[in-house]
Amino acid sequence: MTTPAEIETMIARIALRDRRAFAALYDATSAKLFGVCLRVLKNRGEAEDTLQEVFLRIWAKADSYAVTGHSPMTWLITIARNLSIDRLRARQARMSGQGYGGDLLEQVPDSNPGPEATTIARSEQARMNACMEELPQDRAEAVRGAYLEGDNYQTLAERHGVPLNTMRTWLRRSLQKLKECLTR
Amino acid sequence: MSDPMSGTDTPQAEPPFDDEFLAAEYVLHLLDAEARRSFEARLAAEPALREEVHRWEAHFASLAEEVPETAPPARVKAALMAQIDAAPEGPEGVRRILSAWRMGLGALAAALVMVAALVLVPILSRPDFSPAYHVDLASADGDLFVAAGLDAEQNLLLIRRDQGAPRPGRALELWLIADGAEAPVSLGVLPEENEIFVTLPAELAQQFAGATLAISDEPEGGSPTGAPTGEVLAAAAVETL
Repeated sequence: MTTPAEIETMIARIALRDRRAFAALYDATSAKLFGVCLRVLKNRGEAEDTLQEVFLRIWAKADSYAVTGHSPMTWLITIARNLSIDRLRARQARMSGQGYGGDLLEQVPDSNPGPEATTIARSEQARMNACMEELPQDRAEAVRGAYLEGDNYQTLAERHGVPLNTMRTWLRRSLQKLKECLTR
Repeated sequence: MSDPMSGTDTPQAEPPFDDEFLAAEYVLHLLDAEARRSFEARLAAEPALREEVHRWEAHFASLAEEVPETAPPARVKAALMAQIDAAPEGPEGVRRILSAWRMGLGALAAALVMVAALVLVPILSRPDFSPAYHVDLASADGDLFVAAGLDAEQNLLLIRRDQGAPRPGRALELWLIADGAEAPVSLGVLPEENEIFVTLPAELAQQFAGATLAISDEPEGGSPTGAPTGEVLAAAAVETL
């Protein structure tokens, strides 16, 4: 099992251009980050390309890790998710009005259990989960959809069968409730 | 109820939905392209807003816990390692390495420092000097120019400061980053003399081939941590003559 402290050390060494640390970080975290890319993109080829971008970004930006104050997995997941969504948005722009088609996976890929290498700090996670539980189920799903699937307001509104403005209101109220709960 | 954020209203016009939630929408990528651009412009100038973004990033990243791990195909790693190896490591890269040392990585940095800082003691009489290595260190603004040469037979280092001086109450510290090294090693604080010869320990002199030298701005007496703490003013690769 790779601990957060070990991952942090790898990131610090990567900032010093240590290729072995880079390979070790890849081995420890790529399955999790690939999972994140796949969840957003639902397309293996695009997820592979994006994963590559993610690690190049890590190589280039390891020295800015400390500035964010994030736990190491939060930082890595944020990079993977942001680059995945950038790619998703670019694809949506290309296909605007046409919906998704072609080679997209319909289902979430098989889970690959592996070691519990890559967890967010437990307390942070427990708190967020508890606060998500306090939201009505459909609202919580909308928040998850926005974060994990990269759904925009339009997609969320369609998925939940509500008008666009209703979805905006849902989501903003949910964010306010989450914030209240998280700062309690 | 009507949507408080419809149309082109600016966020400032809706107090109930303030910056912290705008930051959440930004993190979720729910802002439209224009709102996103203007938010990013604010981010660059507003540290408090960046903190808000970081807070939401941390909250939401917890949601990724449920995402199953999926091993990517081996070709991704192979392609990555090849790209990393091909990436040139110019002065910018070195600046990045050294700036990494200044930020938050102090504990690790200190643990990695193997060799304590030297005190540069000038050699008084001018010796025979036949350099095998040379490096010119110039700051981006041109205010500082230092040349250094190493006579590998005698482990003798010549440091010539042609231009520039420490800032008032500060010092200029010279660093060696050996080829493939994980840590910069201090070669000491530049003395007042414009030109000095110093004898290096053999184990440091042997690391000059393929190394990079750098100069950082440090407190008087040099970095208190054994790693660069101030601005990296100049860095350059050592040339083999």
